[in-house]
Amino acid sequence: MFDATELNQKNERVEKLFRAGFGLMTVMLIIPVLIILTTLVVKGGSVVNFDFLFQSPTNGMTAGGIFPALLGTVWLVLVALLISVPLGVAAAVYLSEYAPENWFTRVINLAIINLAGVPSIVHALFGVGAFVLFFGFGTSILAASLTLAIMTLPLIIVATRESLQAVPYAFREACWNMGATRWQTIRRVVLPNAISGILTGVILEVSRTSGETAPIMFTGAAFFLPLLPQSVFDQTMALSLHLFVVSTQVPDMPEAVPYGVALVLICLVLLMNSLSIALRVYLRGRKKW
Amino acid sequence: MNMTKSILMLASAGVLVVACSGGDERQVIQNKGSDTLVNVAQAWAEGYQTVDPNVIVAVSGGGSGTGIAALINGTVDIANASRAMKQKEVDLAKSSGQNPVQHIVGYDALAVFLHKDNPITQMSVEQLAEIYGENGATTTWTDLGVEVPGCQDQQIVVVSRQNNSGTYAYFREAVLGKEREFKLGTRDMHGSKDVVDIVEKTPCAIGYSGLAYANDHVNMACIGGEGDCVNPSVATASDGSYAIARPLFMYTNGEPAGAIKEYMDWIMSDTGQCVILEKGYAPAKSVTCS
Repeated sequence: MFDATELNQKNERVEKLFRAGFGLMTVMLIIPVLIILTTLVVKGGSVVNFDFLFQSPTNGMTAGGIFPALLGTVWLVLVALLISVPLGVAAAVYLSEYAPENWFTRVINLAIINLAGVPSIVHALFGVGAFVLFFGFGTSILAASLTLAIMTLPLIIVATRESLQAVPYAFREACWNMGATRWQTIRRVVLPNAISGILTGVILEVSRTSGETAPIMFTGAAFFLPLLPQSVFDQTMALSLHLFVVSTQVPDMPEAVPYGVALVLICLVLLMNSLSIALRVYLRGRKKW
Repeated sequence: MNMTKSILMLASAGVLVVACSGGDERQVIQNKGSDTLVNVAQAWAEGYQTVDPNVIVAVSGGGSGTGIAALINGTVDIANASRAMKQKEVDLAKSSGQNPVQHIVGYDALAVFLHKDNPITQMSVEQLAEIYGENGATTTWTDLGVEVPGCQDQQIVVVSRQNNSGTYAYFREAVLGKEREFKLGTRDMHGSKDVVDIVEKTPCAIGYSGLAYANDHVNMACIGGEGDCVNPSVATASDGSYAIARPLFMYTNGEPAGAIKEYMDWIMSDTGQCVILEKGYAPAKSVTCS
């Protein structure tokens, strides 16, 4: 009915160009990930086996396994989550559902954004001063996890607040009109609808927490500790620090070991993440809009 | 609903893990400091498990300064240091109620190895620096006024270590000084023993390694000026006369007692001293190891 004018054709070309350009950028994002994973599997895959995962290191850490470090990382992440998730979700609920729109709330929001920008080594020094020395927890899982929790609080708060605000306001109004209190509305309507977004924050936190080295180096992680942690007041080995140690600190380390440790660390993060992703997909399927 | 449930589940899992910690009499010794000593400290901690399983030694690195600072803060039982505490640090420790006691647990002594047929017996630190240092003038044995039988062209084969080795770092510090880099084109070996092995087989070679790796098939250079050079040995390392050696320290808070004393005694025993020898350092006393 209409013939394509020159302008139409030009637009079409530009459209194709941008589409291809953006597509290319997206593919380029994946390339480093693929290179990293292939390198780790090729160079480190040979050392990762059952004994490597479940034995203690021996012979100056050049042989044996990484079990104390693996278990230590799981401890650190779980304890950090136990501290930061309730705290962060509660803060986000207050900021999103209760807080009046005034200067004080704005200051708090600003503080959270700034907290997210503090370098991890500064958090580490804060952790040493506050938890190790002042509160007297010593170098322990508790001190390290508290430091990690403080560091990742902004992630949880921001993710939770945004997912709370994504719940349509009409849901709340409908609920209030039925005579529900604010807390009843939050608990029965807002939080269940926001849970997938909150879990996204948790996923981000798990990845960040398990990979951080600086905050735990001075607060709770040891170069070598032949003991498995038995309580939160114990020191522990951790995968991220162990990776640093085996790649730079130990002479005559077989080349495959650092790659193997890195591979295990990535797999551990992927495993923890896929658990929360599965939970998120399940919950999103029940979303009501 | 779900949210409450999952939080409860997470919390109870955590409580369960924490509750699993049983009663026990184990004691943890905190040991922190020097990166030079950290691998020896790790080996001691690993070895001590079989001696007394109830005593756990937690080892951390970070450098001598880190260990000494932690001792001043009172957060470690034993601080490792590859240098002596400065008077200022001792004063600081005393003013915060600590009483640092110094123990020499071994020596970091490096021997310079030469082929059996190499006529050189004595070398000065300056000569070594010209062989090993960046832009160093010495490239042939002829430059040093000798002819090495079996070495074609008289070109010096410079054997060094990979750059993440503590031996590499200390040799650089002691011979080249902190600023100077190693010469390009050195053969970098991945083990103290490998250095001695290659020198044994290569007439043109010169290499450095822990004193402990000496054997009868290679020569060790006497270090210093002509006439007043010092042969490397545990004795010359410990009295400070040998140039490429430094003592390695452990500091305890007060005279060690209880489990810490037992651990320190074990470190100074033949078994403990053989561990440090095996790691390429000179022991604090002469020992015979299998």
